[in-house]
Amino acid sequence: MFKLAIKNIFYYKGRSITTFLLTFFSATLFIIFVSFMHGSHKTMLHNALKVYTGTIQIYQKDYRDEGGYDYLIFDNQKVFNSLEKIKGIKSYTSRVETFGIASSKNNSSAIMLTGVDFKKEAKISELKNALKTGKYNTKSNCLYMGEDLAKKLNISLDHELSFVGSAIDYSFAADIFKLCGTFKTGMYEFDNSSAFLNREYFDGLFYSQNASSYIVINVNDLDKNNYIASQISKSIGKDLKVYTWQDLMKSMVELVKVDSIFGYISMALFFMVIFFVILIYGFINISSRVKEFGVLKSIGLRDIDIDKILIYEILILTLSAIVIAICLGGSIAYYFEINPIVIEGISDMYKDYGIISDTVPTDFDIFTIFWNVSLIFSLNILSLIYPIYYVRTFTPVEAMRHV
Amino acid sequence: MFKILINLALKNAFLRASRAILLVIMIGASMGVMVSIEGLYEGMTSNMIDKTIRSDSGDISMFAKEYRLKNDIKYSIKNATDIAKTLDTLESVEAIVTRVKVSGLAQSATKAYPSDLIGVNFEDEQKFGKFSDFIKEGNLSLGKYGCVVGVELAKNLKLKLNSKVVFTSQDANNQIQSKLFRVKAIIHTTNINLDTRAILTNKNRVSLYLGIPETTATQIAIRSKKDNLQEILKKKYKNFDVLSFKDLNPQLTQMKTMTDIFNSITFSIVMFVVFIGVLGVMYVSILDRIREFGIMLALGYEYKYIRLQVMFEALFLGLGGFILGSIIGYLLLLYLNIYGLNLSDFADGMQSFGMSSILYAQIKLSYFTTSLYAILLASILSVFIPLRKIKKLNPVDVIKADA
Repeated sequence: MFKLAIKNIFYYKGRSITTFLLTFFSATLFIIFVSFMHGSHKTMLHNALKVYTGTIQIYQKDYRDEGGYDYLIFDNQKVFNSLEKIKGIKSYTSRVETFGIASSKNNSSAIMLTGVDFKKEAKISELKNALKTGKYNTKSNCLYMGEDLAKKLNISLDHELSFVGSAIDYSFAADIFKLCGTFKTGMYEFDNSSAFLNREYFDGLFYSQNASSYIVINVNDLDKNNYIASQISKSIGKDLKVYTWQDLMKSMVELVKVDSIFGYISMALFFMVIFFVILIYGFINISSRVKEFGVLKSIGLRDIDIDKILIYEILILTLSAIVIAICLGGSIAYYFEINPIVIEGISDMYKDYGIISDTVPTDFDIFTIFWNVSLIFSLNILSLIYPIYYVRTFTPVEAMRHV
Repeated sequence: MFKILINLALKNAFLRASRAILLVIMIGASMGVMVSIEGLYEGMTSNMIDKTIRSDSGDISMFAKEYRLKNDIKYSIKNATDIAKTLDTLESVEAIVTRVKVSGLAQSATKAYPSDLIGVNFEDEQKFGKFSDFIKEGNLSLGKYGCVVGVELAKNLKLKLNSKVVFTSQDANNQIQSKLFRVKAIIHTTNINLDTRAILTNKNRVSLYLGIPETTATQIAIRSKKDNLQEILKKKYKNFDVLSFKDLNPQLTQMKTMTDIFNSITFSIVMFVVFIGVLGVMYVSILDRIREFGIMLALGYEYKYIRLQVMFEALFLGLGGFILGSIIGYLLLLYLNIYGLNLSDFADGMQSFGMSSILYAQIKLSYFTTSLYAILLASILSVFIPLRKIKKLNPVDVIKADA
């Protein structure tokens, strides 16, 4: 049967070439399309995580719902001691956030002032790498500020500005700061409204010793993030709550899902058309061979044997097309993962949508490629059902008389 | 003769019913899904553009020079109400509004967030962009201290109807001022800047708060369909920045362009595959009847009539597919136009990135006319290769060979 199928493939060249090319074209297109889609989504999420969010955050229960100083973590050290015992944690640090009005000589702006441990922060976020002017690890009343915020306040390095806010006991807190460094992460809203102050000075001004708005954690292996989050959850007090990056960036995760849905809808259209063309070519081919099947049946072949010939034919054509598509599509996906396409200005254009990089890499993933081609393979096999049914409706005599 | 040709073509086109039906289903299903995807994507981007025009930029906006760069009320249009009155007399101006905007810090009982206080005239806004359509909760009976807030800002500050919110910013004299508001309505415009940052209230109150005359505004927004109005205004008001919607929202303009390009690529690929499908069916159909054509030529039937007949056959198959596709496409578009594609499961994500969670499709006659031309073209082109086969026929050889 197998040999007969091979012979038929070479004999009916038109159908074979069309089926092969369409399968190859659709499988390659699918691999490349999905790799670009996953690559851009992954980059978007990872960049956002890498820049500031981290992969896990710990909050006092209700902080994220209610907010305010009443829901701070009031014993950082206790949480740090628990984190030390958990394997897989790369780094962690605490942050205290407060909002207030910063004023330069002529301008004022609402800002988020965050007290951080600059050394620990360098291990967990991209703040240090985002340095544009001045220094990162600032001491005393030195501020490390978003470049866009500094522009908005019309100040440059060593200029002074005042900040008015409230300490964590809700008393009035105000001070004069000096601009010692600026950063640009590419996250517009962040660069436009954030400033950082060393933790020691911050604690003195806002009475936040050993307290924090939240504790941020990075793990060694992102795939184990949820497991580590559950371990942390078990080891810390019940008054604290652990959030993974999927919870923290719910909006972005959802947007990525929606974008994927649209991507798959578009691909489904291509597959539908290609499926029909393969079905039509298969059907035309098989209907023109009814006489041949009649002869085969009359010399003793059963329906199942005819089915086997047809299945072998489509299997050989599909698998050969898919193997080449995996090689080509996989190579392209791999190449662009290492050498991402750069579209100048895309991050600036879509800054409101969380895009902070001009690079559009692919995501080379064997498992994804496998399910991509499995889908194409299944569609090709499905396209054989009607032709097989059609052939089976003929008796040997009817088939031999078929014109 | 022509009538006979059409009758023959019609009969032959559907002679092999299964084959013809498969082809018609392929064209119909592909076209139906394609036009509905096209309508949905276009509906999504058009909806975002429409709401941004209505809620913010208008078709043209005027700002004082430097305002957009410095975002400072010092750079405002001093005699804005007079300019607006003058412009309103122009026949090409459909609606006009003046707004005053200042950036600052919004604080609820427990949270603080950077925001913009925008002074508007709600009656004018209603005429300008049907402002009431954006209201998600509450109403515009603001009273003395009422305000309207963006849906994302409300979420961030945990604001509900009647919640108190304090806005703090710098006034025109560089003094820090605070004002208390009570939330009377929450709006969802799908314009990220408004949804995440806006506190809207009556313009006269904002003017009073900022210490600027009521005639002053930071923006004059104009609704107009006249193409060259921007150029006219640029010449007339050389001291102002006169910007079109496209200048102000390049990302939305590019999104629309990208959608158009994507739809065109999808359309071309689908039509190419449709072409391959019709080509296959027509080729086999001609091969099946090669003896018939040989006899026709031997009887003196001119080649040009055979060519015309074959073309009509392909056109009938294409038309059959188009009719089915139009029915499927129209029904799908109608459903998506009335009920929309409900993505409420991802509402948070879509809302924070300025999208509506229910996407409504647009229905345009051009989707169908373009498809009709493309299908007819694909059908006509698909017969050229089979026709070459007939043209090369030697009638005697063909009759002998198949006899």
